[in-house]
Amino acid sequence: MTTMAGDAQQRIDAYLAKLRGQLRGFDDAEVRELVDELRSHIADKLALSEPTTGAANVAAVDAALAALGTAEELASQYVTDNLLARAEVSRSPLQILKSLFRWASLSIAGFCVLFGSLIGYLAGIVFLLCALLKPFHPHTAGLWIIPDGAVDVEISLRLGFGSIPAGREVLGWWIVPLGLVAGFGLVMLTSRCALWCARRYRRPSVLPRG
Amino acid sequence: MKVRGTGDLESADKWEVQLRKGCLELAILAVLWDGKLYGLEILRRLESDSDLIVSEGTVYPLLSRLKALGLVRSEWVESDAGHPRKYYVLTAAGKERAREMASMWARFSSSMSKLLAPLARGK
Repeated sequence: MTTMAGDAQQRIDAYLAKLRGQLRGFDDAEVRELVDELRSHIADKLALSEPTTGAANVAAVDAALAALGTAEELASQYVTDNLLARAEVSRSPLQILKSLFRWASLSIAGFCVLFGSLIGYLAGIVFLLCALLKPFHPHTAGLWIIPDGAVDVEISLRLGFGSIPAGREVLGWWIVPLGLVAGFGLVMLTSRCALWCARRYRRPSVLPRG
Repeated sequence: MKVRGTGDLESADKWEVQLRKGCLELAILAVLWDGKLYGLEILRRLESDSDLIVSEGTVYPLLSRLKALGLVRSEWVESDAGHPRKYYVLTAAGKERAREMASMWARFSSSMSKLLAPLARGK
């Protein structure tokens, strides 16, 4: 096995230690495996370069580490890709939101998708709550049309808290099945859209042929 | 003489980058089709066989994602170099996904080629 000068080895260890410290969301075994893989990659890269000693060896290590990007950038890619992969596998709205919050902290596209997804999930949850609360608040929960001035009307989805609204209830008990369908539909549609956007816009960097 | 603006060149470059990005997952699954490879070999194969120049810091997180998605699995193998290497191999789901993507790619590529034929003939 090739041995490395102290400085060169220290640089590698420092880089990998920094990376290890930022790999949030992975368990210990996963972190160890990722770090071991990168250590193996660096060793392969150094083996490909001319046999060197001292300062030249340090320069070769620096070049190998620079090709990987900074430890922060690399960790960020690992963490984000990992969160998105877990969201795709689980398809759980909570896991998807967790990934989107992470993505939103990195880019405007991520922020926009998070914003849209929050609205989608919120609308879905309101429909579900309305359907579920209707049996407990039969006179105040549901979809209401409330006059707003002479010609305007306000459409209001109410969860049943507070007084009876001054308007006309539409749908009646139909809000229960329709609310459940609309609520689940919105949650599923939002999840699908969020994952599609993540796959479409959150891609790794590829360089054009120079 | 028509001078091509810097903006045109930039948008052409951006378009090319986007195009290449979209192909990367398929390209990685494709290079693994014939057997197991480790990270550096995957990078080399992508460069030599597909013109895709992927930064080293990109391919490892992507491989980790493909593993989390169950499309590849990995195994450590001792090497003559004196250190173990992590090899990636396609899972059954990865092979299925690669076939689907390759089929979609073939259909898309064929229809685009038909559409672009007049441009290629210079009409």
